[in-house]
Amino acid sequence: MSNKVINKIADNTDSSLFEFAEYDASKAELTGYSNYSFWRSTIQVFFKNKVAVTLLIVVGFIILFTLAQPYLPNQKLPNKIYLDPATGMQLRNQAPNAEYWFGTNSIGQDLWARIWSGTRTSLFIGFAVGLFEAIVGITIGALWGYVRKLDALITEIYNVWDNIPTTVVLIILTYIMRPSVPTIIFAMCMTGWLGMARFVRNLIIIIRDREYNLASRCLGTPTSRIITKNLLPYLVSVIMLRMALAIPAAIGNEVFLSYIGMGLPLDIPSLGNLINEGRVLMMTPALRYQLLFPALVISLVTVSFYVIGNVFADSADPRNHV
Amino acid sequence: MGHLTTEEILKSEVVLSVEDLVIKFNLRGKELTAIRGASLDLHKGESLAVVGESGSGKSVFTKSFMGLLDSNGRIENGTIMYKGENLAKFKTEDDWIKIRGKEIAMVFQDPMTSLNPLKIVGKQVQESIELHQNLKGEEAKKLAIEILADVGISEPERRYKQYPHEFSGGMRQRVVIAIAVACNPNILICDEPTTALDVTIQAQILQLLKNLQEKYNLTIIYITHDLGVVANVADRIAVMYAGDIIELGTAEEVFFDPKHPYTWALLSSLPQLGTKGEALYSIKGTPPNLFKEIVGDAFAPRNPKALKIDFVSRPPYFEVTPTHKARTWLLDPRAPKVDPPPMIFKMRDMGMNGGANNE
Amino acid sequence: MKYYIKRLLRSFLTLIIVVTVVFLLMRLMPVEGYFGASFDKLDEVQKEIKLKNLGLLDPWYMQLKSFYVSLLHGDLGESITYRPKVAISSIIGSKFLISLRFGLASLVVSLVVGLSMGILMARSKGKFWDKIGTGYVVGANAVPAVIYYLLIQVFVTNWFDLPLLFEKDNPVSWILPVLCLSLVSTAYYAMWIRRYMVDELNKDYIRLARAKGLRNKTIMIKHVMRNAFVPMAQYLPASILYTISGSIYVESLFSIPGTGGLLVTAIQRQDNTLVQALVLVYSSIGIIGLLLGDIMMAAFDPRIKLGAEGGSR
Repeated sequence: MSNKVINKIADNTDSSLFEFAEYDASKAELTGYSNYSFWRSTIQVFFKNKVAVTLLIVVGFIILFTLAQPYLPNQKLPNKIYLDPATGMQLRNQAPNAEYWFGTNSIGQDLWARIWSGTRTSLFIGFAVGLFEAIVGITIGALWGYVRKLDALITEIYNVWDNIPTTVVLIILTYIMRPSVPTIIFAMCMTGWLGMARFVRNLIIIIRDREYNLASRCLGTPTSRIITKNLLPYLVSVIMLRMALAIPAAIGNEVFLSYIGMGLPLDIPSLGNLINEGRVLMMTPALRYQLLFPALVISLVTVSFYVIGNVFADSADPRNHV
Repeated sequence: MGHLTTEEILKSEVVLSVEDLVIKFNLRGKELTAIRGASLDLHKGESLAVVGESGSGKSVFTKSFMGLLDSNGRIENGTIMYKGENLAKFKTEDDWIKIRGKEIAMVFQDPMTSLNPLKIVGKQVQESIELHQNLKGEEAKKLAIEILADVGISEPERRYKQYPHEFSGGMRQRVVIAIAVACNPNILICDEPTTALDVTIQAQILQLLKNLQEKYNLTIIYITHDLGVVANVADRIAVMYAGDIIELGTAEEVFFDPKHPYTWALLSSLPQLGTKGEALYSIKGTPPNLFKEIVGDAFAPRNPKALKIDFVSRPPYFEVTPTHKARTWLLDPRAPKVDPPPMIFKMRDMGMNGGANNE
Repeated sequence: MKYYIKRLLRSFLTLIIVVTVVFLLMRLMPVEGYFGASFDKLDEVQKEIKLKNLGLLDPWYMQLKSFYVSLLHGDLGESITYRPKVAISSIIGSKFLISLRFGLASLVVSLVVGLSMGILMARSKGKFWDKIGTGYVVGANAVPAVIYYLLIQVFVTNWFDLPLLFEKDNPVSWILPVLCLSLVSTAYYAMWIRRYMVDELNKDYIRLARAKGLRNKTIMIKHVMRNAFVPMAQYLPASILYTISGSIYVESLFSIPGTGGLLVTAIQRQDNTLVQALVLVYSSIGIIGLLLGDIMMAAFDPRIKLGAEGGSR
């Protein structure tokens, strides 16, 4: 456009506007205020995922309920064999009814009580294994990754241990120590720490050498801040994921052990041996409930933890933050 | 400088005409206006340099000509006229297939990642040929080898069978150029073609592009933030800031007679213009936040000599010569006379004496 | 070449250590296991004689030595309690072909179904098919396998009237076991290729291909798919070989006479030689699989030169 045309348009503009404006150097730097908080964004993104939130509620409810269940009124004991008051016979294989909400099993025990007791046991095992894996795995993994001299040694140990089929170790250890809650936990931990250690070690190696950490050190950032602001957010999300996944894995292992007869003794109900009991009867449609109820609970619990763990890990990824 | 004279530029036909282009991106729920009404005419056979700092929108601007915007971007407004069609209205892959490669081709910045690591180089060039030049098999292979030789790769038959990781950075860029040229395009867009390369290789690649321009009668758009590159190759320069073309002119006009305060600041930042013992000049402040709507001149907050009207309304283009225009209120007859900073005069002197910028 | 020889030696060493460790672990097992039901009936002297005959009273290094010596003769030893006095090689040999066949069948099925599913998921990313696929993958990974095997047995047999037990001559009886075996690996392949495709599609060379004027579909097939096989080649040999170890669940649920239950039974019956032999076989399989995988990868990926350093897996 030529100057003449502009003049016509701009004629209405106040000519006083053609004076110099005050120069404010600080305004030149204004790009926008950022009040970003890593954890807050993580939680925000997490809660946007409706499935994860629903499952979180479900799991929370299940955990609370299993803990509270024995204290509710009218609950039966999981190991007590209930007798029919009229005949004095064992109340075997009763379908779910008003008295026994999940029915009874083949020797007359209340399935409802057994399932909740079993869930308690299995969850406990899962958490214990997850916790142990976390502690041991992180420690070994950190040493492995950080201390260069130990790297070769631990790598060799890892390679050997990794090649021993986990089933072998599980079975042998359980057999030697006789199945019970502590021994099963121990056996699973023996095989489980590997994965976590390896993970942590790889992460530490990557992070330690990443340039932004080098830059932080050059800037004189104190180590504590490097750990809390640079390393921790990255590590925690991944570790939470593995811990969350450890629970379905532990339940799976426990089911496996019960399946091959190395499970917990029957007076300690667990989801594993409940499945086993139900399995025997599953071909009879009337008795199928004895398999279906534990299966339902297991599916709910495992899927919930799996999804929660994965969604949380995704939420912690800054690329998904608003 | 470039190879065309001002008269030649004015006389040659316009191959691509962009008017008032507005491009927006949807970023995690918020909207970013990357291009705020840019206009440009591209003349046949010229070398146009689009200059600007990171984030000014140069890449986005040219990517929209080929439909290569990220999926969260869209053309909100404006037209891109090419051969009678408005590219801004293209939506489907079928539409863009007519343009990509065949009419407009692109050379990307990073030669390390631009090639498929698991395919031999020759096949990647041949792919372009088979797509756009109606040749297949042996004939296509022969042409591919010829083009490899054209871009300066020695022993092309042997190199044809090699993988990208067996080439150095400069050679890889040559291959990428070969792929683009093999499409037989009308317009070639080079997005920072030399930024990732050594300085010595830079000169070679630029010379190569000039040669290819002659041989294949190409119109080239160079996107760069390196004024040295611009001085080497450009016929015309478009200076972009915050998603707008704030100055457009021939290379001489923009280098020696810049009108927009941003161009002044940009040119003053050239280290060659520094005086020994004194601090180098740098522009204070940072580019504006494009998530917010910009009122007035985008550069105003960083301009110590800004006028009040710069904060109120957006300057229109003012014409300096038939080939030179700038978006600044300083060119309005009512504006006070503001001299460009001394660096600019220094540049003029150096340029007159045939000094700083090389041919 | 030198690299591979070093790798082989390393693997060999690992193998020996593994077998020794398991051997020692087995020695920790309670002595009763060797006798089974007759434990209470025999007195001390008889027990000693039996143990001695089985070579179990010798110091552990001697037992280890005799194991390795016979190994060098190609002799995996004899089973102690499982099938007394029967050569282990024949025990394993008869069973492993069946497991292998099932394993291969399920591998093919899971590759075909898994890859197709993953591709479909990547293409409809975020939309309907992706969600369904993700639901399937979550279910397959989270829930212990045996649960859906059992549910399949209970319900699918009713709906489709498929045979519950495996019969050698009845091909229809293959359907359910192969289906069960493939469930988890299908999920694995689906997720893997979905992730791979999504990652590759963001890469620079794909953008260049698009700028060249290639259609999305062509890019998918000629560039992305082709490139996907390279990392996959690394895992294939190991997968194939792992099928030999059979699946405990599937084989026992469908009464398939394969190697699946062999290990478990061997441990339960405290058949030490059998356990050792099996561990040896499985570990070797794992190591060979990894080695083959590396070779495959080097063969397909032109960027890998045969001198590169390897780390822990």
